[in-house]
Amino acid sequence: MYLALAKVDITDAISVWSRNMRVYLRLWKTELIAPIIEPIFTFFAFGFGVGALISSRVEGLSYLSFIGAGILAFTVLMRTVFELTYGAYFRMVYQSTYNAILSTPVNAESLAFGEILYAATKGLIDALFVIPLVIIFGSSTSYLAPLSIFPLLLGCLFLGSLSLAITAHIREIDHFNLYFALYWSTIFLCGAWFPVNKLFDWLQVIAYILPTTSAIDLTRAFLNGGFEQRHIFEAIYLIIISILLTEWALRSIRKRMVV
Amino acid sequence: MQSAVDAKNLVKKFDDLVAVNDISFNIQTGETFAILGENGAGKSTTIRMIACRSPLTSGKLFVGDFDTKKEEVKIRSILGIVPQENNLDPDLNVRENLLVYARYFRIDKNTAEKRSDKLLDFVGLSKKLGSKVESLSGGMKRRLIIARALLHKPRILLLDEPTTGLDPSVRQEIWEKLEELRQTENLTIILSTHYMDEAEKLSQRLFVMANGKIITRGKPQEIIRKRVKNYALEVRGIRNNPLVVTSTNITSHKRGNTHLYFAEEIEQLTPLMNSYDNTQMILRPSNLEDVFLIYVNSD
Repeated sequence: MYLALAKVDITDAISVWSRNMRVYLRLWKTELIAPIIEPIFTFFAFGFGVGALISSRVEGLSYLSFIGAGILAFTVLMRTVFELTYGAYFRMVYQSTYNAILSTPVNAESLAFGEILYAATKGLIDALFVIPLVIIFGSSTSYLAPLSIFPLLLGCLFLGSLSLAITAHIREIDHFNLYFALYWSTIFLCGAWFPVNKLFDWLQVIAYILPTTSAIDLTRAFLNGGFEQRHIFEAIYLIIISILLTEWALRSIRKRMVV
Repeated sequence: MQSAVDAKNLVKKFDDLVAVNDISFNIQTGETFAILGENGAGKSTTIRMIACRSPLTSGKLFVGDFDTKKEEVKIRSILGIVPQENNLDPDLNVRENLLVYARYFRIDKNTAEKRSDKLLDFVGLSKKLGSKVESLSGGMKRRLIIARALLHKPRILLLDEPTTGLDPSVRQEIWEKLEELRQTENLTIILSTHYMDEAEKLSQRLFVMANGKIITRGKPQEIIRKRVKNYALEVRGIRNNPLVVTSTNITSHKRGNTHLYFAEEIEQLTPLMNSYDNTQMILRPSNLEDVFLIYVNSD
């Protein structure tokens, strides 16, 4: 029995992270503008458009405040998922970047961990731009709003490692269609756009099992205050799931690349 | 002399396929060694096992005294790997390709810059520092990959079919660079190839693989001398004609539309040329390809 996480060399993982950051920073103009456009339109569409039809308060918040966490988490998590599905698949299969890196002393585990770190960084950079937007649109009422990057980081780690593990298992790029169908379906259950307790009982159970629900609920607590005991359990749940899925992603990349 | 690579009873299976079937070999430090064979013979799998990219099904494999089962990181820090595919980073320019790669070996920035510039000069790419990788020709890409593999001053250079798919002039270019490296650096060079002339020209020793097994091994000239006679008469474009009946000191083989005759003396072969009309004939010294094809035909 071996622990893949124990084989990670953090200096090597940072070298992989730095290779990706170098490419990212070269394209910084488009990379930084892109994450702002969609949230702005979502605020207009959902916050003001759909929000105008909702007069009641949602979980004690105005609808505009309620969906701030949803928009923020949606943007950040989506970025991470894209990076470790299509982005990682390109580097692994079409560009052979993984093969080149594995011709050096960097091992498969450090490579995978560097990729996850990078995707999380990219997600959090988006957060740095979307959090002020959430404040400007009046969706955040708490001065703790900037700390929402912590639950978002956990969300990125969990969804990033899940995505990388899936990437390591697929043989055709079109196989991502199924993963994304599941991802899109579940993201609507996770309390981004309406409270989970409005769902059928059995769907609520599914929603609470999905760690994305915890990440969004915690993000909302930081944006709008109102911490409760369940948030502690959600944080612990996210940490445990993130560790387990990172371990799976690391093993999956080794299994794919060292055959 | 110390072994650069020591392999004992190597086996690699993929489900039902036995890619490498119980091979043992030893490569000495400082020698240029070729692994020769057709596609699918097991060469690349052997190379991948040396590079710790493919775990052994069974057997023992030591690279520079390190066990491939336990010391992947140490082994790859002494190996310079030139893969069969082009895996240069298309997101980076020529110089960045080397600088980013140097970081994986923990070479500090200053040293990396100095070595990169020197190596780019060595492979004739110093005018292409800022170029995109896609804009390079096939030969330039190969040379850049070789430069990249030398960045960390490896003890062993491992090349998997280094000239496959390149035109003849580029192959010559690559050979010259490898020849130069062999003479100037104390480098063990291991290459896999399916080109007989490449193996014959570059390697001091080699083994030939077929169906996952080593079918013959030794110094190229020794193998040729041991397995075939000195001279060959090659007659091409034969349809259904049978081989000419010859004396016992001439051996004959048919391969597709070609007849091959081997003898110790050139004079023994010349009379045979009268037996063929209007056909393309070549009288030449025997080479490694003859050995290889005789083996494959005898299977």
